[in-house]
Amino acid sequence: MIKQLSITDKRKWTKPSILAGLVVLIALLPVIQGSPYILHILILTFIYIIAAVSLRTITISGQFPLAHGAFMGIGAYIAGMASKWLGWPPWLTMPLGGLMAMGIGMLIGYPFARLRALYYAMGSLFFGIGVTYIIYAGGIWTGGYAGLVGIQSMFGSSKVAYYYFFLGLTVVCLLALYRFEFSRIGITLKAIAQSHLVASSVGINEGWYRIMVVGVGCFFAGLAGAGYAHYNTVLSPASFGFMATLWLVMYVLLGGIKSFAGPIIGTTILVLLPEFARDLKVYSPYLSAFLLLIVVFLMPQGLVSLPKLVMLWYSERKKGKKITHVPGN
Amino acid sequence: MFLETKGLTKRFGGLTAVNHFDMYVNKGEIVGLIGPNGAGKTTIFNLITGFIRLTKGQIIFDGKDITRKKPHQVARLGIGRTFQLNPLFADFTVLQNVSASFHLHPRSGLLDIYFNTKKYRRNEAYILEQSLEIMRLVGLDKVKDELAKNLPHGYQKMLGIARALAVKPKLLLLDEPIAGMNPDEIEFTMTGIEKTKQQGTTIVVVEHNMRIMDLCDRVVVINFGQKIAEGRPKEVRENEEVTRAYFGDEHVAGS
Repeated sequence: MIKQLSITDKRKWTKPSILAGLVVLIALLPVIQGSPYILHILILTFIYIIAAVSLRTITISGQFPLAHGAFMGIGAYIAGMASKWLGWPPWLTMPLGGLMAMGIGMLIGYPFARLRALYYAMGSLFFGIGVTYIIYAGGIWTGGYAGLVGIQSMFGSSKVAYYYFFLGLTVVCLLALYRFEFSRIGITLKAIAQSHLVASSVGINEGWYRIMVVGVGCFFAGLAGAGYAHYNTVLSPASFGFMATLWLVMYVLLGGIKSFAGPIIGTTILVLLPEFARDLKVYSPYLSAFLLLIVVFLMPQGLVSLPKLVMLWYSERKKGKKITHVPGN
Repeated sequence: MFLETKGLTKRFGGLTAVNHFDMYVNKGEIVGLIGPNGAGKTTIFNLITGFIRLTKGQIIFDGKDITRKKPHQVARLGIGRTFQLNPLFADFTVLQNVSASFHLHPRSGLLDIYFNTKKYRRNEAYILEQSLEIMRLVGLDKVKDELAKNLPHGYQKMLGIARALAVKPKLLLLDEPIAGMNPDEIEFTMTGIEKTKQQGTTIVVVEHNMRIMDLCDRVVVINFGQKIAEGRPKEVRENEEVTRAYFGDEHVAGS
């Protein structure tokens, strides 16, 4: 799981080229099937992929925040308000949304860095709920219960333009987070997760690293949220409440928290699946919960480990057959 | 004096774990810190390395006051340590354990790491080389690709020492390095400690096993958080108070 420490040696080219091929295929999709509804669903998938992967990045340090939906909300509302009240263009408000989420995340991370495991999750949970209430209480500035309307849109009503923009953004964000995790920074964070005592005994400033990774994770959540603001042009506090956080956690757990690809797969399945079975959409929370239970019991490493498990099962079966065959001979 | 503690005191609620403990260590020495179970030896290590806040007293290392420093700051000044229960980066390989521990020397900035600069690549190459050398020194080079959690106890202990050496310590604090080892492993570890000393590292070692005394230049004995004896290993062994602390009153000759 943890690749070699030095990244200097040349990696094999097969994996990157397969992934590049996949991206090209996804990029060709609007040409084949340009239905605005499908594009809309895929754009949302891209946005949630960024958020889910950034959530998992925080968890490699052994922290499990339960406020990621709220950080998306912070990014979205900061960008939305800057756009509406100050008239700033999207290319400025989006980084601003990310940076503000990062700043607030690190500020909150500072007192939380002393909390561990359950306490950390609880603290961040209450913070997340608090953010929703602040948005509700924001009156005219945040739009309160009615929601924030009048955010500038980026490309008007052209779904195709949005599609390519968010595809590009997702690729860039994933590359950035991948590099982060598989560099020495990620190794150090994984070391802290395994033993913070040992880590600090070899001179790792554990507290700073824990705050730093929260900042990085929140930046990408805020960026995704800001992108959403300029895509949807209308924001409602309910989209960033505790349920939003819970869905992100679901995406990560279902796909596989131990693998970089995990949240990507989890998000894709959980966002797309209800669309293919429209009649069942009302039940999607129940079905997702059921799916999660099955995954947790049968493949604790998430859906990402499915191919490996199938292969293992297949080879076991073959072996089993051979053994039962021998006495018959 | 290289390391000096003055009036070191630690109270946990009503319990005084360490009480006005004075100790000094000269450069290049191996000092043994011995005493019965619960005497406060590990607490002293934790106080020196900043893992526990002290109640009263002062700790001076290499001319600097390190009394209220945090663990990573203490490591930065050149104090490496091992732990009694020996936690590891369990899911890392042996090599990853050691190279991840090279956090300080050489040090790469976050941006250097992220953008894979020339300086960072040079540092990584150096770290790899140094890690292999340390692993050879402690005899872990044959198992470098094993996961740390799959190693036998003796190897895990050595890995703890290897990791502490990655800090390039001027002072090395070893917490029960030979506890639970078989005689061969003890022999091997003691040679390793001797070698480390010859390279100029000052060492303080906490141990139950009296064999460690053979290595020590000086021994400090504590009981109930207080120093009860100090001196050359031979002197200490003959000290009445020490015998009493370890074996009880009836074993003291002539009493």
